[in-house]
Amino acid sequence: MAQSDSGACVELKFPCRPEYVGVARLAILGVASRMRFSYDEVEDVRLAVGEACTTSVEWAERNGKSESDIVLRSEIGDEKLIVDIFDEAGARSEDSRSGEPEQESENLGALLITLLVDEVSVVPRDGGTHVRMVKYARQR
Amino acid sequence: MNFKMETRAVESMPPIIELEGEVDVYTAPQLKQQMIGLLEGGATELVVDLTKVEYLDSTALGVLIGGLKRLRERDGNMVLVCPSPRIRRVFEITGLDKIFDIFNTQPEAMEMMGKETG
Repeated sequence: MAQSDSGACVELKFPCRPEYVGVARLAILGVASRMRFSYDEVEDVRLAVGEACTTSVEWAERNGKSESDIVLRSEIGDEKLIVDIFDEAGARSEDSRSGEPEQESENLGALLITLLVDEVSVVPRDGGTHVRMVKYARQR
Repeated sequence: MNFKMETRAVESMPPIIELEGEVDVYTAPQLKQQMIGLLEGGATELVVDLTKVEYLDSTALGVLIGGLKRLRERDGNMVLVCPSPRIRRVFEITGLDKIFDIFNTQPEAMEMMGKETG
């Protein structure tokens, strides 16, 4: 099953709002289940994607961009799953959030992502942010 | 929406918030409001039961940490009931299992509270 999936790309576009983060988690759960991941690894991917989308949603709320969309793109490889999350939630300006109570959970979210996936990059893009996460399928 | 919250309060016992389903960026604000209400009502001890929780994210962790901080400021405490290894793992990998007292059952949690209040 996994062999024939190699190179397959699944893309989902959804509103950058709290009620849709669960939809993104469901989608990535389906995609990650097609990989040679253990049950725990699938859960890792689900949680990491949930955290990344949550961060986008929180920045969108802060920047008045809740009408924007998130694009979640996942690419299935033989050995790894690449997940790209593109938001249009505005700039993630450190100045605008210091001292806010949400900062603590955002820091936890960033920590979780780092611990749950093998590679993560967060790159500003025009009007938002691109987060890329890579999870490798371990040899069994 | 896959989220339910029920609060049980028995006289002379700490209130118990029982959560069910997904506690995330969408649903955690309800938990926050409930906790604020109990704190404003004078609660100094609280049990949060995560037995039926299927998913818990950093937003929920943030709410729980906020509640614990406020309770400890008034010499109170909050304990968690969390028998699910999957949910407990979120606490473990973030190191929060060292901050929270986590029990497998409500009776164990209540016993701990009983000892604290002496």
